[in-house]
Amino acid sequence: MKKITAILAAVMMLFALAACTATKEAGKEPKDEGKGGEKEKVEKVLYLNNGQEPTSFDPPIGFDAVSWNSLNNLMEGLTRLDESHQPKAATAKNWDVSDDGKVYTFHIRDDAKWSNGDDVTADDFVFAWKRLLDPNTGSPAAFLGYFIEGAEAYNNNEGSADDVKVKAVDKKTFEVTLISPQAYFLSVISNPCFFPINEKVAKENPQWFAEASSFVANGPFKLAEWNHDSDFTMVKNDKYWDAKNVKLDKVHWAMVSDTNTEYQMFTTGELDTSDVPGELADKLFKEGNVKVEDQAGQYFYRFNVTMKPFQNENIRKAFALAVDQKQMVELVTKNQEKPAYGFVSYGFKDPAGNDFRKQNGDLIKTDVAKAKELLKKGMEEEGYATLPEVTLTYSTLDTHKKIAEALQQMFKENLGVDVKLANMESSVFAADQKALKFQLSRSSFLADYADPINFLENFITGSPMNRTGWSNAEFDQLIKDAKLEKDEKKRYEMMYKAEKILLDAAPIIPIHFYNQTYLQSKEVTGIVRHPVGYLELKWADKK
Amino acid sequence: MNTYFIKRFVAMIITLWLIVTGTFFLMHWVPGSPFNEERTTNAAIQKNLESYYQLDKPLLVQYGNYLKALVQFDLGPSIKKSSQTVNDMLGRGFPVSFELGLYTLLLAIVSGITLGVFAALRHNGLIDYLAMSIAVLGISVPNFVMATLLIQQLAVNIPIFPVATWSSPMHMVLPILALATGPMAIIARLTRTSMLEVLTQDYIRTAKAKGLSPVKIVFKHALRNALLPVVTVLGSLAASILTGTFVIEKIFAIPGMGKYFVDSINNRDYPVIMGTTVFYSAILILMLFLVDLAYGILDPRIKLHKKEAK
Repeated sequence: MKKITAILAAVMMLFALAACTATKEAGKEPKDEGKGGEKEKVEKVLYLNNGQEPTSFDPPIGFDAVSWNSLNNLMEGLTRLDESHQPKAATAKNWDVSDDGKVYTFHIRDDAKWSNGDDVTADDFVFAWKRLLDPNTGSPAAFLGYFIEGAEAYNNNEGSADDVKVKAVDKKTFEVTLISPQAYFLSVISNPCFFPINEKVAKENPQWFAEASSFVANGPFKLAEWNHDSDFTMVKNDKYWDAKNVKLDKVHWAMVSDTNTEYQMFTTGELDTSDVPGELADKLFKEGNVKVEDQAGQYFYRFNVTMKPFQNENIRKAFALAVDQKQMVELVTKNQEKPAYGFVSYGFKDPAGNDFRKQNGDLIKTDVAKAKELLKKGMEEEGYATLPEVTLTYSTLDTHKKIAEALQQMFKENLGVDVKLANMESSVFAADQKALKFQLSRSSFLADYADPINFLENFITGSPMNRTGWSNAEFDQLIKDAKLEKDEKKRYEMMYKAEKILLDAAPIIPIHFYNQTYLQSKEVTGIVRHPVGYLELKWADKK
Repeated sequence: MNTYFIKRFVAMIITLWLIVTGTFFLMHWVPGSPFNEERTTNAAIQKNLESYYQLDKPLLVQYGNYLKALVQFDLGPSIKKSSQTVNDMLGRGFPVSFELGLYTLLLAIVSGITLGVFAALRHNGLIDYLAMSIAVLGISVPNFVMATLLIQQLAVNIPIFPVATWSSPMHMVLPILALATGPMAIIARLTRTSMLEVLTQDYIRTAKAKGLSPVKIVFKHALRNALLPVVTVLGSLAASILTGTFVIEKIFAIPGMGKYFVDSINNRDYPVIMGTTVFYSAILILMLFLVDLAYGILDPRIKLHKKEAK
């Protein structure tokens, strides 16, 4: 009897609880967090989405967009990319370059301060850059610093920190010696892995970057709040040397990983920008709401030149020429990408002011007749009566699948070759591709720094990014020479030639260049999206 | 009774240990590594990282170390989010998932049982058909479809609720509704079926003949026995709902622990895979234990310990 009463009581409590929650939910007004700045008209709050928890705000560790898009606005290196993507004086007010182009002396601004009031000093840079290169840091971005003398040896456990040629001449003078003159050096060091680190803070608390309360910033914004896995908020940094040009008061970053949800939040005003959800892309493009910016990088396919039948150059070329890139972007990806007929993307100007891509032209362009001819020729050269079976492999994802199927169709129609498709979970795929286990496989490349050489150096012999088995002594030499060349005109000539050699041997099939597509509230202006680099909010504004 | 608890506890520990062992070796057999990304880190850096996470040691040594740490409730550092430990991640994610899960369960149990009881009492009547139509809908519409539908209707078309995130009670309504429909339908159908069975039993007829009020018959005599199958499913249902659901948490951007189950495997983030598995298993085993206890309370004929029953 007692038990029955107990159960009854429990059921009643459940009802009561449910009722309680219901009234609690109904009674409380929603917090006004979602609605863009309605509460206080004076305060300018930008609502962005970071997609997920940043990997790390430790500058050399979080080598990805989810960490560096925000970190780029919390901190600042010696230089900062401007609206036209050129490096401009930032924490450094100016610099001197030695005659041989190898020694840079940076003069750090007197008013460059950390958010805790400390001066940003040359020692902070020495500390940060050596830490980037320290093998024990385990930074995936460390290779970006290899153009500093002594850097590569130190990072590979073959040298010491003392041999890395970065030094603090005095409190506000920072000197760095390069292995060779590098035209793009000033642009590379705008990258977050070259941000200074407040040595004093870092030594007291090695995990200073893990929480908002301990984070010290030196950029346009500082970190005010960080609810891990949920959201974080940056506020204007009054200690920033150029604070008068920072217009926003606050930036709120949600972490919404679902693109459809992100889009819905954008339509209800809970977010100021959004990615374009795949299913709605067509409609949104037609309505003219989507903005498109270039992104330096390419979607392409790799041949494995150590496996049949792609050891033969003519057969590789036949496959490459059978691909219709224009159709691919217009009918398959439908995201307004530019079709790729070369490897280096648009946006790099040579000394004469010509765009690299336009100047070097279409190096491998759809030509079905020639493709058929080359396939025949290649098969004769190898003595094939029938072509060995070809399997095309991609990492499992809808968008990759669409492109792979389109390629299969194109090879069938244009060459009469039946290609098998296989897909694999991405982590396994990456390992197998590096081990040269595929004949033909999907690839992508996003530039790490703004220079054509960053694209081309992938394919030097033995580069971990090569992954084709392709090797060419002349190409290797050209890349090596270009890295040492001080004369920009000559350097570009070398790179033009190298790209021609690469695509003439066709260890790859270019598909399309990447772009950045997004939706943005009409009230928001001044957000800069660089083709190479991270989101820039310094000049952003909101009505 | 005490020996029963001790035996159960030992069995629970052994079960957990088997799961830990199985998962540990299976996980390392899966090809791929946490450092396999599109971008390549150089060999020296890779080596440093591997030695930092002890991945360069023999598997058995790694296993031993893991067990040692596990006994001290240390689940290790995350490989992907290097400044966080798995304890941090679960400590943050679980309360959120638990909150969402708890409200969901309450809603599902209360509404499911109510629907089921009414359907059984009005067997083959309008209410029965109505309730079971709702239940069939609830079972057949997957929760992510429900979620999208709710967002579209109640957040975008008629902006009553916010679209997503987890910052106020208003934000909780849609995900709870979306998540509760499935379990509610299951509970409703189970309740109805077993109520129908129980209602035909002799003792119910006796109760009716005694002239007891229908309310008393239903709540005192019928429902109690009818709840057994419901309680059986509740154990595993509760474990999975309380530890977070990947899809719903993703759609509503809820900072629970659901995403770790999936992301950790994609990233081969070994400590997080282990952490989530151990945690989930522990909760599941605990829930099954509670279910067994509940059996004894609901139906005294079910004895927890056979020897004692003599």
